Amino acid sequence: MKTAIQLTGILKSYPGSAQRAIDNMSLSVEAGEIVTLLGPSGCGKTTTLRVIAGFERPDGGQVRLGDRTVAADGVWVPAERRGVGMVFQEHALFPHLNVARNVGFNLKGAGLALRVAEMLDLVGLADMGSRMPHELSGGQQQRVALARALAHDPVVVLLDEPFSSLDADLRVQMRVEVRRILKEAGATAVLVSHDQRDALAISDTIVVMRDGRIEQVGSPRSVYQYPRSRFVAEFVGTSNVMNGTVSKDGTGVETPIGTLPLVGARGMGSGRDILVSIRPDSLELDDGGDLEGTVISSVYAGSSTDVMLRVESAEGPIELHAHAHPERVLEIGDVVRAHVLPDFVAVIEE
Amino acid sequence: MRALWARAWRGQPPQGWLLLVASLTALLMSAPVAYVAVRALAEDRERWDVLLDERIAVLLWNTLALAGVVGLISGILGVSLAWLVNRTDLPAGRALRWLIALPLAIPPYVGAMTYVIVFGPRGWMARWLGESPIDMYSFFGAAFVLSVFTYPYVYLVVGSAIGRLGQVHEDVASSLGLGRFAVLRRVTLPLLRPAVGAGVVLVVLYVLSDFGAVALLRYPTLTSAIYYQMGGFDTGAAALLSLVLIALTLVVLSAETGTRTRARFYETNGVTRAPRRIELRAWRVPALIYTVSVLSLAAVVPLAVLSYWTIQAVFFTGLDPGFLEFMVNTLQAAGLAAGVAMILAVPVVYLQSRHNSPPSRAIYQLAHAGYALPGVIVGLGLIFFSLRLAPAVYGTMVIVAIAYVIRFLPQAMQSTQASLAMVSPRIDEAARIAGLGPMATIVRVVSKLIMPGVLAGGALVFVSGAKELPATLLLRPAGFDTLAVRVWVEASEGAYDLAAPPAMLLVLLSLIPLKLMLDRFQGAS
Repeated sequence: MKTAIQLTGILKSYPGSAQRAIDNMSLSVEAGEIVTLLGPSGCGKTTTLRVIAGFERPDGGQVRLGDRTVAADGVWVPAERRGVGMVFQEHALFPHLNVARNVGFNLKGAGLALRVAEMLDLVGLADMGSRMPHELSGGQQQRVALARALAHDPVVVLLDEPFSSLDADLRVQMRVEVRRILKEAGATAVLVSHDQRDALAISDTIVVMRDGRIEQVGSPRSVYQYPRSRFVAEFVGTSNVMNGTVSKDGTGVETPIGTLPLVGARGMGSGRDILVSIRPDSLELDDGGDLEGTVISSVYAGSSTDVMLRVESAEGPIELHAHAHPERVLEIGDVVRAHVLPDFVAVIEE
Repeated sequence: MRALWARAWRGQPPQGWLLLVASLTALLMSAPVAYVAVRALAEDRERWDVLLDERIAVLLWNTLALAGVVGLISGILGVSLAWLVNRTDLPAGRALRWLIALPLAIPPYVGAMTYVIVFGPRGWMARWLGESPIDMYSFFGAAFVLSVFTYPYVYLVVGSAIGRLGQVHEDVASSLGLGRFAVLRRVTLPLLRPAVGAGVVLVVLYVLSDFGAVALLRYPTLTSAIYYQMGGFDTGAAALLSLVLIALTLVVLSAETGTRTRARFYETNGVTRAPRRIELRAWRVPALIYTVSVLSLAAVVPLAVLSYWTIQAVFFTGLDPGFLEFMVNTLQAAGLAAGVAMILAVPVVYLQSRHNSPPSRAIYQLAHAGYALPGVIVGLGLIFFSLRLAPAVYGTMVIVAIAYVIRFLPQAMQSTQASLAMVSPRIDEAARIAGLGPMATIVRVVSKLIMPGVLAGGALVFVSGAKELPATLLLRPAGFDTLAVRVWVEASEGAYDLAAPPAMLLVLLSLIPLKLMLDRFQGAS
């Protein structure tokens, strides 16, 4: 695989802020990969995107795009000469140009009309070339923005919170659509998002960021299933995090709610103190389960019922978040039993 | 070094050429007036003592008294009319809403001329009654004329604030048991105080800078004294008086900054419901009489007098044979100024908006120097400056245009700024990503999007330049008469049939900026 983006030791701070916006970040993105920078606001994900784009100059470190160094000590290639494409949060279509001229903006040469038609076809707007941006819906504007970014055949497409300006239904639809278009165009893409559902749905790789640093890099499945820190466990979805000790034979972990099997963690020394993350989905209500808890809140959410259980343990009462089948009616004060499914139990080495 | 430079610009240092153009503009806008202060400070102590003993105290008192009284009267007129039109069931409210702002289209020196025609010692009243009931050449005359032609500033600013205020605070006060007048006194007026302050400051700044009206009404103020010192070629005394006027203006400006900072706390967020209108009942007729009386004095009388003399000239006595030439001169000087202002405004505004940081804000503020200060000081500064540095432009039309740019560039900047604020910086970045350099981004994308604002700004500068009197009088080449100059010259000599047609043309021109201001303050309605 060819490396499309290589960030090495990027440093960036803003005047008047003691904390670094990006703190010694290194990352590499393969060609054709869709990568999402995921994190809460202020984690440095947007700054990282703007450093790749060339809108922010890093204080230190190196940015390579393809086989070209675009930012390093004494090297600075401005945005217009980097050959990247960008889709902005509010789309930023040129309001004075129609759709075709937006897509063909600053394209030169004989193949211009063909290229524009090809791009509009790709994003499913083949007959919309003569519309003006204000005549388009939010989803259509986004398709045009994507077509414009892809028209220059960029080394990488950057998407800044691409779904945050869309309403809920459209958002779900555009996650699928944007992924299809990027894959069909064979583009390398870096997205920025604070929404874990966007990230899980669209990415090949998720980069979870916090305070200017990378917390975890991995496929959506591995990041969700095996979070490596309490922060990732709680930011990407919800989780019950508790203390545990690796059992003597090394195959399980002793927690306040009993001994759980160790999955996905190898070579843990026995007796070691660790943290365990249990997803609400892996607490299954089951009358034959070995856990007993009292319902302290119950919120009907349509596709499931979100329940908070109080469970008595050796270390006093603890509260556990669980998902119950939506048909199950639970009242506060009900006593229920549950068991833990091993697949979504992760060990956090902290 | 690079890190320090980037830090000063908040991490977004501008392109060299953008910074260069904007800095040179700011320098050109501020250096001539700064030079006036330098010249004044270099004068002998003795000159200071003489002036302090003899003139400055009287002039300062005259100026302060006039500014104070005009500020007070126009404040009362502006607030009461804004409230009546926006919050009560005053009859014909819709038409009155813009008619009340109409006096803004009448340059005060034109207004002063019309009142001299009616109430002057040889005016219509003197002819009918044997003697005019009012002495226009007095403090009263100057205060009256300036008040009726400047109250629209307060009216517009306060009216706009009333519109934003909405109903909710008053409803809360009523629900807490306050009666209607207690609500007005204890809630509405205090909430409007920053807007009233801002409007009155505009009026006071105008009074400090006015030359034409006070000169025609023969009321000596600092501004007119500076002009007459220049006429006597006593540049030293003119510079000294200018320094006093600059200091006075800066004091008023700092008061304005204060009110603006406070005004921010009063801004309400979110959607405000259109407020209920108060029923005037028995007060409806007196309120209407009051409104119509103000309107008569501020618009009907002056426009009727102007129309009368214009018709006299057009149909009976004939236009001045040089009329076309005056128009061409005005078009040249004000047109050149408008063109230059449109071009210079863009880099300064772009720098301030897209590279917002202490240096760009300083440049933006410096470009306002000539706007805040009276035209006589700009004229004086340019005389000093051009004689020393560019004698070739001294006594040409070009220096007149430069004076207009220095005086009115901020009008073009504000208009451009309003347009640029509607363009997201992401648009600039989208153009950059597509391969355009910083310069090409401004020329090929941004300037097209902000063109309406730039053109509106150019129109404002054009009209202001056409009306500008003292700087034109001080700087014009011999025989270079603009419409404003002709109004002043003929009015001074009582040749009203010759003064009225150019004055009428200036009033008609001024309807353009009036329309723009109404759109801004009263919304598109």
